[in-house]
Amino acid sequence: MTIGTPLAAPTRPVGRSSRPFGVDWPVVSAVIARDLRAVRRSKAVVVPMMLVPFLLLVVLPLLVGLAARQASSPNGTISFIDSLPAALADPIANLPPDQQLLTLVLGYFLAPLFLIVPLMVSAVLAADAFAGEKERHTMETLLHLPITDRDLFIAKFLTGFLPAVAVSWIGFTAFAIVANGVSWGIVDGLIVPNGLWLVVIFWVAPAVATLGLGIMVRVSARSRTTQEANQLGGAVILPLIFLAVGQATGLLLVDLSVALAIGAAVWVIGLLLVWRGAARFTRDRIAGNP
Amino acid sequence: MSAAIITSGLSRSFDGCVAVDSLDLEVQAGEVLALLGPNGAGKTTTVRLLNGVLTPDSGGATVLGMDPNVDGDEVRRRTGVLTEAAGLDDRLTARENLEFTARMRGFTVAEARLRVDTQLDRFGMQSMAEYRTVGFSTGQKKRLALARSLLHDPEILFLDEPTSGLDPAATRDVTDLIGSLAREHGRTVLLATHFLGEAGRIADRMAVLDHGRLLAIGRPEDLAAELWDGTPAEIDLGEPATDATMSIVGQVEGVAGLEAGATGLTVALHDREAMARVLAALAAAGTSVYGASIRRASMEDVYFALEDSSLQRVAP
Ligand SMILES: Nc1ncnc2c1ncn2[C@@H]1O[C@H](COP(=O)(O)OP(=O)(O)OP(=O)(O)O)[C@@H](O)[C@H]1O
Ligand SMILES: [Mg+2]
Repeated sequence: MTIGTPLAAPTRPVGRSSRPFGVDWPVVSAVIARDLRAVRRSKAVVVPMMLVPFLLLVVLPLLVGLAARQASSPNGTISFIDSLPAALADPIANLPPDQQLLTLVLGYFLAPLFLIVPLMVSAVLAADAFAGEKERHTMETLLHLPITDRDLFIAKFLTGFLPAVAVSWIGFTAFAIVANGVSWGIVDGLIVPNGLWLVVIFWVAPAVATLGLGIMVRVSARSRTTQEANQLGGAVILPLIFLAVGQATGLLLVDLSVALAIGAAVWVIGLLLVWRGAARFTRDRIAGNP
Repeated sequence: MSAAIITSGLSRSFDGCVAVDSLDLEVQAGEVLALLGPNGAGKTTTVRLLNGVLTPDSGGATVLGMDPNVDGDEVRRRTGVLTEAAGLDDRLTARENLEFTARMRGFTVAEARLRVDTQLDRFGMQSMAEYRTVGFSTGQKKRLALARSLLHDPEILFLDEPTSGLDPAATRDVTDLIGSLAREHGRTVLLATHFLGEAGRIADRMAVLDHGRLLAIGRPEDLAAELWDGTPAEIDLGEPATDATMSIVGQVEGVAGLEAGATGLTVALHDREAMARVLAALAAAGTSVYGASIRRASMEDVYFALEDSSLQRVAP
């Protein structure tokens, strides 16, 4: 070790003058870039983040689609359609019988299930970003750097939010290819995207990601380790997932206006939780509750 | 010299347990102040308060003319901290860890790279730069954390146990570095440590905390003069001093006190001349003297004396 002499004068970069929304974006993006780089190398985070969307958005629609293709008698479908909400039943009932099942399952049934993806991705990443940082003792280092409490929170929020939305949209693209591919030659035109799916991916999915983050920010503040946060968070999030699965069979979401309203409600709850989390995210609280 | 850090009545407790108790401290610019005290004395909490990471319950601090509780980011821009735990992300390489901090401190990608290289070289970590820190030894992590705290050439350095876990050569190098940062480059260093010998070598003054309270602050020799009546001197007689010898020395003018030891005695002297008179008296009595030295009180002596007196104050 040859320590030598230090640099001559204290040099500090001058304060950046432009701060859109009062946020120091270079610093915020430095945190996000570091977190995502670290996460990419963490199997415990990456595997569930890739596997669940793959099963849900590629394997499941493929199996369901192939099974629906094989279904020889469409009679069962027709009687089921009678019990659907009118808004959905009409477009489907008007289809030729052999197209009804595929359209119903791929175009509508899977939409609520899809929401598990943004929920899970944001929750897993938030646990790593908030509780994991404490567990690795890197939070203390961050607190001693020139970043405001609010900017640090924004960085941590986006670390969960951006990948959750990105994975959802990429996953949806894969799903669209599978869904349309598997119904090729049977259903006229494309099954997805339809109006419902557009609402789900652009409106409800980001809302659900926000909700997942809001829950995990709260839970992480009370946990010492990522595992603890994931367990606690799972206890809150699993019922939400069952609710989503329940929705799939109850088909509450099929009506566009209902989907929009549910999305709005999730946004409100999610943002409220995030807002409260942000208010409690202060250096003093973080350093004072190791 | 102006003060780089001033605290007045700085206090902070956790769940009713007082960690820092009405601390009044002044650290001059360009000074190395050793912050000493037993485990749980409040050293780390003090650093956190000074860097605006914790908010005081009462009292306050001025760091580089600013209140860390108000202008925390501006204070943190100009201070560098070595935290107790190295706080490296084990999933990143040594270089990535440091470059992240440089980016956080506002350097461009190119400049961050340059500064990281300089520091990696300085701490002999260049050959480890592209490895993930997960397998690094305690000392290697400490070096990286030190390198990280110096990336932006901070005006004030808060070093929380900078040499714990370092090998002897690295300890000497880091100690020299801290000394040169202050003496040649005018940086202010607050050095929280348990290594009294090393602190004594580089620190100008010492502050001793216990149960969050400041027991004393000052130069070791000044504190010694307050603590003891006179300067201690060792006299080597080759055997324990006899009662007769003790009474002869006790009567010499300028001797404030004396104590027999295994190979002679320790006397407390009011002035240097008293030493000559003691030696003359011993020679006149026909007692052989094999050695005599005035012992300047070390930081260690002062520390233990303060700790002992504080125990006495707390115990009864
Ligand atoms: N976040 C916290 N929550 C609860 N108690 C705390 C917290 N931080 C510090 N303390 C308590 O405050 C006291 C001072 O702690 P501090 O870490 O400042 O001591 P220290 O002098 O740095 O000790 P050491 O030499 O062991 O590093 C201790 O009694 C500790 O238990
Ligand atoms: Mg400490």
